[in-house]
Amino acid sequence: MLTKLTGGKVYDPAHGVNGEVRDLWIQHGRIVAAPGDETPGLEYDLRGKVVMAGAIDMHTHIGGGKVTIARNLLPEDHRGDPVEREGLMRAGCGHAVPSTLTTGYRYAEMGYTSGFEPAVLPINARQAHHEMADVPLMDVGGYVMLGSDDYFLRMLSSGKSQEEINNYVAWTIHSSQTIGVKVVNPGGISAFKFNQRSLDLDEQHQYYQVTPRQVLQTLARAVHELGVPHPLHVHGCNLGVPGNMQTTLDTISGIEGLPMHLTHIQFHSYGTEGDRKFSSGAAQIAEAFNKNKNITLDVGQVLFGATVTASGDSQRQFANSAHAHNGKWVCMDIECDAGCGVVPFKYRDKNFVNALQWAIGLETFLLAEDPWRIFLTTDHPNGAPFVMYPHLIKLLMNKSFRNEKLASINPDAAALSTLGTLDREYSLYEIAIMTRAGAARLLGLKDRGHLGAGAGADITVYSEQEDQEAMFAKPDYVFKDGELVVKHGEVVNIVWGNVHTVKPEFDRGPIEKDLKDYFDRYLTMKLDNFIIRDEEIEGDGRSKIIVHPCGRA
Amino acid sequence: MSTLTFTLKISLQQRVDVSPLTPDNLAGKSLDEIAAIELQNGNRKVRADAIFTLSGDDHLNIVFKNALDKLDYIGKGNSNGEISVEGDGGAYLGFQLQGGTINVTGSVGAYAACELRNGVINIGGNAGDFLGAALPGNKKGMQGGVVIVKGNAGERVGDHMRRGSILIEGSAGAYLGSRMTAGTIAVLGEVGAYPGYAMKRGTLLLLTAPSAIPATFNDCGTHTLGFLPLLLKGLQSYQTQFGALADKVKRVRRYAGDMSGAGKGEILVSES
Repeated sequence: MLTKLTGGKVYDPAHGVNGEVRDLWIQHGRIVAAPGDETPGLEYDLRGKVVMAGAIDMHTHIGGGKVTIARNLLPEDHRGDPVEREGLMRAGCGHAVPSTLTTGYRYAEMGYTSGFEPAVLPINARQAHHEMADVPLMDVGGYVMLGSDDYFLRMLSSGKSQEEINNYVAWTIHSSQTIGVKVVNPGGISAFKFNQRSLDLDEQHQYYQVTPRQVLQTLARAVHELGVPHPLHVHGCNLGVPGNMQTTLDTISGIEGLPMHLTHIQFHSYGTEGDRKFSSGAAQIAEAFNKNKNITLDVGQVLFGATVTASGDSQRQFANSAHAHNGKWVCMDIECDAGCGVVPFKYRDKNFVNALQWAIGLETFLLAEDPWRIFLTTDHPNGAPFVMYPHLIKLLMNKSFRNEKLASINPDAAALSTLGTLDREYSLYEIAIMTRAGAARLLGLKDRGHLGAGAGADITVYSEQEDQEAMFAKPDYVFKDGELVVKHGEVVNIVWGNVHTVKPEFDRGPIEKDLKDYFDRYLTMKLDNFIIRDEEIEGDGRSKIIVHPCGRA
Repeated sequence: MSTLTFTLKISLQQRVDVSPLTPDNLAGKSLDEIAAIELQNGNRKVRADAIFTLSGDDHLNIVFKNALDKLDYIGKGNSNGEISVEGDGGAYLGFQLQGGTINVTGSVGAYAACELRNGVINIGGNAGDFLGAALPGNKKGMQGGVVIVKGNAGERVGDHMRRGSILIEGSAGAYLGSRMTAGTIAVLGEVGAYPGYAMKRGTLLLLTAPSAIPATFNDCGTHTLGFLPLLLKGLQSYQTQFGALADKVKRVRRYAGDMSGAGKGEILVSES
């Protein structure tokens, strides 16, 4: 059936469309060119409404072991936010770590149609996919975690060639059905297992004798040479450590021009100035970002309230465990792969450190000049649950609202921040870049994040309002692959999303032979069981795998 | 003013959450308004008068008649007045109670006095598991108040208990006072295995010697503890036999533990 969306104000940065009144046409779940004199079977009058592509959250922890651990650790998070069965929606619960169904409903109600799980451990990838497959109304995908796994560190320390390493990286991407590669505290999670409590960029792993710098360079090169569109997704060294701004700057220069995505940069932008030896490094980071076009960022904005931090970085999470809210935390080792740390946290606006973290995130947003290379995240649930995105958008778009909040936080932190002097207000066009077009380009999603002919018809329609928080919290319509799924903030149709992957070319033979031996000797799983086959994901007829092309432009 | 009475009039197939029917919540409401309050019954909501026959008007004096073990959350979060239960109560009786009194003639289910803050709960019959405990995942159980059980109590009495007293005149199940942080639990009858499991501080007063003391408790010998008669005398204003023991319990054998944890708790076993 042909559907027409008539007369909306369209924001489609991928095609340079900035608030122009246009008609959109949908057929068979895709956006199509105007079909001439054919009459639409269904027409939506969108005059006066704002039309954007469905939003993409390119870094959100919605699947995998740590989310399950966080749920087990926080029954109070579930008791405190029960969701009753309503209409088509089944019951659920949870604020910081909602149940899978509730996650999908809440994202869709805010106009998000895709979310990417940034920390898929290879050994747990199957569980992560199971969990993401249970999130309705959303396209999903994952970045597979490498860099602290023993096989990679062995390769690196024994001087294997870049090509052999590329084969291993590609094999892991294939086997785990993911769209990118993430590295968390490069080498540091492994070093923690050898009792190293921190690992700086140029510090040697005491067993493998390699440095995080080498890990980053090798993996970034592998991802680049394989032609994977999404650059290496980096959670750097020294997360949360005052003074880590310098480490981050060194990481940026150390990558030597290769494409690199630095995630939750807010947690890596701390200086050591002032009486409390904790200050904002946002200005220096933003300056480096503006200069180095190979770098992309997502912010990992902190917003006040109780949440839980869930990370593969067991080394840093262990260091932070003393700050655990309610005194509960979990750190664990995961086979030869990596680790996991779950630490409940409460960000308080009157707390100096938390308030400054809040300001640093916002400073980064406002000082970063190119919205195509910076993305709107809270690192859900680490900085704040994703349901607070509309609040964050308002902070970015409304200077007086932002300054009002600034006046209410810890005064020492406010005094140390330059936030009050920053006049920038994000436009709707820039928000559309950060949350749609830019994110799709970053991940190599050719048919998402834009409204051109051929794109999947993921479309969100808002009523323009003075209060951007209200506007982005409750879109008028959300379409997922051409189906109307949300109407006036209510889910009216349940559909299941796609799984986005890449399948870079590589030489399977030699690497698989060596890996088989490694699996038999050291891992709890056989190699054949480790590989996730397409039919495991598509077998139930709900999810479809979309393979995006690789290759350097 | 006459007692506000809720008489159960149907045979319940599913559990009912009666937490809205407390003195705090009913203050200033007419009988018609109370009748219209919606209660969760299994997977649906029903009006209070579909389950109960209502009479009376004194919201500070509430009675449940013909009460059954399917009535959950009796007195949840209440802070004053008196609730009487004629019959049995369900789970979570007196959940987070902040004051006032709850009297039950029969027995109650699991998690009675869960996270109790203050107030008095008298239970004429038995209590289920996790009496005076914390909700799963929470770190603080009962934090004040007095709970008296005339019959027996189940397992894990006082799990994560923080303050207050639990007085059991019958027997108690296994893991009495597990993970206790502080407070007092006294038992007249027998106790199950592993009393004081992982307790940090607090006192278990046992009038009947347990069959075994866990290996992680150290025997500190027998003592005449001056505070015991005072403690028991302090209970004379409550409806319990413990008050009358003030002149009888003098010498106790003291076991310190749980040494696998902080080890500042004690099990006192009466020798007299």
